[in-house]
Amino acid sequence: MTLTTAVDQTREPALSSERGLSRSYARPRRTPLNWIRGGGLASLLFLLPLLFVFGAFSWYPIVRTAIMAFQHTNLVEAPTWVGFQNFAAVWHDPLFPVAVKNTAYFALLALIIGYPIPLIAAVLMSEVRKRRGIYAVLAFLPVVIPPVVGVLLWKVFYDASSLGVFNTVLHWVGLGPYPWLQSQQWAMPSLVLYSTWANAGATIIIYLAALIGVNPELYEAASVDGAGVLRKVWHITLPQIRGVLLVTLILQIIGTAQVFLEPYLFTSGGPNNATLTVLLLIYNYAFGNSLGGDYGMATALSLMLAGFLVVFSLVYLRATRTWSTR
Amino acid sequence: MSKPGSGGGLISELEWTKPGTRWRMRTLHALLLVGLVVIGLGPILWLAKSAVTPTLDTISHPMALFPHGAAWSNLSQAWNDVHVGRYFWNTVVIAFGSWAVQIVVATTGGYALSVLRPRYAPIIKGLLLATLFVPAIVLLVPLYIEVVRLPLVHKSLIDSYWALWLPYGASAFNVILVTRFFDNLPREIFEAAEIDGAGPFQLFWRIVLPMSKPILGVVSVFAVLASWKDFLWPFLVLTNQNKQPLSVRLPSIQLQTSVGVFLAAMFIACLVPIAGFLIFQRSFLGGTGLGGAIKG
Amino acid sequence: MIVAAVVVLGVGASSAAGSTRAAQKVSISVASLIPGSTPAAVKQFNAQVAEFEKKNPTIKVKPVEYQWTAPTFAAKLAAGTLPTVFEVPFTDARTLGDNGQLANLTPYFKQLPYHKKYNKAVLAEGTDAKGQVIALPKGAYAQALHYNRALFKQAGLNPSKPPTTWAEIRKDARIITQKTGKPGYVEMAKNDNTAGWILTSVVYSLGGRMEKGTGTHAKATLNNKYTVQALNMLKAMRWTDNSMGSNFDLGWSDINQAFAAGQVGMYISGSDVYTNLVQAYSVNPSIYGLTTVPLAKNKNAGVLGGGTLAAVRPKVNKAQLSAAMKWISFFYESPLVSKTQAIRNAKTLVANHQPVGVPALPLFNKKQYNLANKWIKPYINVPLGHMKPFLNGIFEQKLIPEPEASTQSVYNALNAVVEAVLTNQSTNIGQMLQQANAQAQAAIKAGN
Repeated sequence: MTLTTAVDQTREPALSSERGLSRSYARPRRTPLNWIRGGGLASLLFLLPLLFVFGAFSWYPIVRTAIMAFQHTNLVEAPTWVGFQNFAAVWHDPLFPVAVKNTAYFALLALIIGYPIPLIAAVLMSEVRKRRGIYAVLAFLPVVIPPVVGVLLWKVFYDASSLGVFNTVLHWVGLGPYPWLQSQQWAMPSLVLYSTWANAGATIIIYLAALIGVNPELYEAASVDGAGVLRKVWHITLPQIRGVLLVTLILQIIGTAQVFLEPYLFTSGGPNNATLTVLLLIYNYAFGNSLGGDYGMATALSLMLAGFLVVFSLVYLRATRTWSTR
Repeated sequence: MSKPGSGGGLISELEWTKPGTRWRMRTLHALLLVGLVVIGLGPILWLAKSAVTPTLDTISHPMALFPHGAAWSNLSQAWNDVHVGRYFWNTVVIAFGSWAVQIVVATTGGYALSVLRPRYAPIIKGLLLATLFVPAIVLLVPLYIEVVRLPLVHKSLIDSYWALWLPYGASAFNVILVTRFFDNLPREIFEAAEIDGAGPFQLFWRIVLPMSKPILGVVSVFAVLASWKDFLWPFLVLTNQNKQPLSVRLPSIQLQTSVGVFLAAMFIACLVPIAGFLIFQRSFLGGTGLGGAIKG
Repeated sequence: MIVAAVVVLGVGASSAAGSTRAAQKVSISVASLIPGSTPAAVKQFNAQVAEFEKKNPTIKVKPVEYQWTAPTFAAKLAAGTLPTVFEVPFTDARTLGDNGQLANLTPYFKQLPYHKKYNKAVLAEGTDAKGQVIALPKGAYAQALHYNRALFKQAGLNPSKPPTTWAEIRKDARIITQKTGKPGYVEMAKNDNTAGWILTSVVYSLGGRMEKGTGTHAKATLNNKYTVQALNMLKAMRWTDNSMGSNFDLGWSDINQAFAAGQVGMYISGSDVYTNLVQAYSVNPSIYGLTTVPLAKNKNAGVLGGGTLAAVRPKVNKAQLSAAMKWISFFYESPLVSKTQAIRNAKTLVANHQPVGVPALPLFNKKQYNLANKWIKPYINVPLGHMKPFLNGIFEQKLIPEPEASTQSVYNALNAVVEAVLTNQSTNIGQMLQQANAQAQAAIKAGN
């Protein structure tokens, strides 16, 4: 840290530019030798592990997947080209709009329930003065529990009879019994509740880290102006960590658009397709009924989903750019 | 920087001395702690209890506390008959290997993309981001076909841990996390080192790596957790049961194993990631790791 | 065209094997025991492999642990890494066969000395739309009614006189719920196709069918009057009698768990689930009762049967195919027709702490079934007395295979209807069935 301050004193802050190191090397002409001298070779060498691993185990299979979206295959014989037939089949599947609607619903609920809870918890936890570690460890424990155990346990909680754990507890305060996973209206909110439990810990930890970065002097200045706690949260805390908030928001939306595990383990998409999500539909196309016969449809729907998410993210980034970097 | 033992600064020392504020915050914190114990520790405690409860009691009275006594034999059966120990070890080997690959890929890649910044860096960043949008489940078949017969070298990785380590290394999330962390390191240090005659390699080894300890802790936890939770992929590529990790072994024996023994095995299995998290928790809670990666 | 080619190859293979007695070694991989088997069982299995290799010195057998799951099957099929011999559930075999995803076994099958003794209904499960045998049965079950004897007693019902008509099931369920507070009749209604599977079983027992014809030309008949009748019966039990409890998302193992926990009065599942009840859920044998699914007085009424088949990976060479058939015959089929092997199998099960004598559906004719059961009598360790109502009735029941074309898709279409009836009182059954029928018809036409 002493080094940092030393450098700070000797250099103008403006010089700590956003430009990369290699730009500071002279780069007069593009000859191989200059390229090496200019750090081009070093960059490439450092990128090699990344290029190899991603090229072989991510980009290449993705390209193959994309190709399969335009083919029909039974996975044994050579595939045949079918143009946009798979896309058309997905588009005309009556379950397609159902799955899209359900996924959007899940994302919306997760936004309403799952997004603020970790934030509130993290803000509260950041003010804990002694043994903050215990709070963080406790909050993170559900992330560590294997989904198989989590589901086993939550099915007990969600028992729809009046003897179920949640229904018993709610009965004490005069509520219920609720049907939880057994009703078309309740099933999706129940899944979101589980998903929040299972994932909030990781988000809390991220927020905690961000909150530590908030300059305490800002709070002090506000206190001097007579601002209360809630006003400080609204006017200082949230704007200060807006970068993180925006990133976690888009990551959560991408994550919830690909929600699979919860409906797969709890409901398989039921009751009456009330929890059939896009990814579950992809899974069903690929493996559910026909054992590979519809792999083309599965990949076609995946491409459609990925395309949508890319467009959505670009729009999102464009829309929030000014706000997040101000 | 906040002082150790003090709060995040939201509530000033002055406010903290006011009894009203202090009382309110203490109550909120107590409620939060109770809530966290229930939702965080509760399930683990239930698992611990069920691990030593007879099967019939667990399935007919899941919330009762030992209505017919304890069944310690579940634990010994899980260890001896299910061989949790062996699969436990496999899990550790897989987690360690994929951790190593992910660290190498993320640090070297992050360094090149953030510090060296060749002209094509934005393209690579874009390609990395793109992988986040493709659901992993559809890659199952193409990736498997590839691993069964690697292109160019025509070797099979089936039953080799490399079939797990290498694909796990392709975690765009890790690379992005590390890249963003490096982005926020002060440029002045690099420039100073450069003036002192350090090449890109020395810069990486002597300056960047030592400074990135916090983010490496974070990436480590994500790496270990991911390799510990994944089921479908290792189930596919590790056909030799002596090489399978717990996440594969436990679900495949579930139908043939009594619930009591199964939960006992689960309980033992949970100790791996919990221990891992406790080891690395400081880098999380210190805040410098993630904070640096996600700021701005 | 492919058919003809394979048949020619097949015939060629058998004659070639006869003429050239070359000592060329053939290597095949075979699905071994399910994961979680005890060391004793593994040892037994390896002993059988050794015996087989001794009998067939030119064949090398490599056992691999194998478990059927849809995604891993698809991946292994695509990569050609399935074991040479592996197991397929009844529900998928014909669809796979029609898709060209299983090897044709017909010529080899015809050479089996016992090939005429098969139970025709069971053999039909391994025969594709073109009439080719693509898989041979490993084990089969008939749907049965499992009931909790303790709850029957508690409700003042006679546990030795289980219901014999659907009206009685409804009445007993109501009494059980009233007297004990436990659900009297529970049905699997999970979206993983168990909902459609059980509904189909009920419809069969009333005399209905889900399709007519075979292959991609089959006609979906999901919205027949018996399906409507079955769904109305469910609706009455669920909403009028309120005797089905409050959880409607139970799948195959969930309902077994609930039953073992004493939370289920009666339910329909395969006659062989006792094994799972014991192994996973330590069921108390004294509460277990088994009877047949009641059949309506209707000449089409019958009981749905299912099970597991042994099949061979597509695109293997003829020497491997021939060796694979020898293994199937040795390992899967002959224990049922050979006394020494039957007894050895029973011993293996006992050593593995598995139930012996769980009621199954005969793969061969009744005579052969009774004979085989006599051989293993000393090893039987299940409460046969409690299974009497089933054992007495099952041979009178007509066995009906699962819907032939696109089995899983038909079940899948039905799932939503069952779930809707159980979770929404005002469900329009007729309209939902019409939708389901259209969905199933589309899948059949597409060969899915």
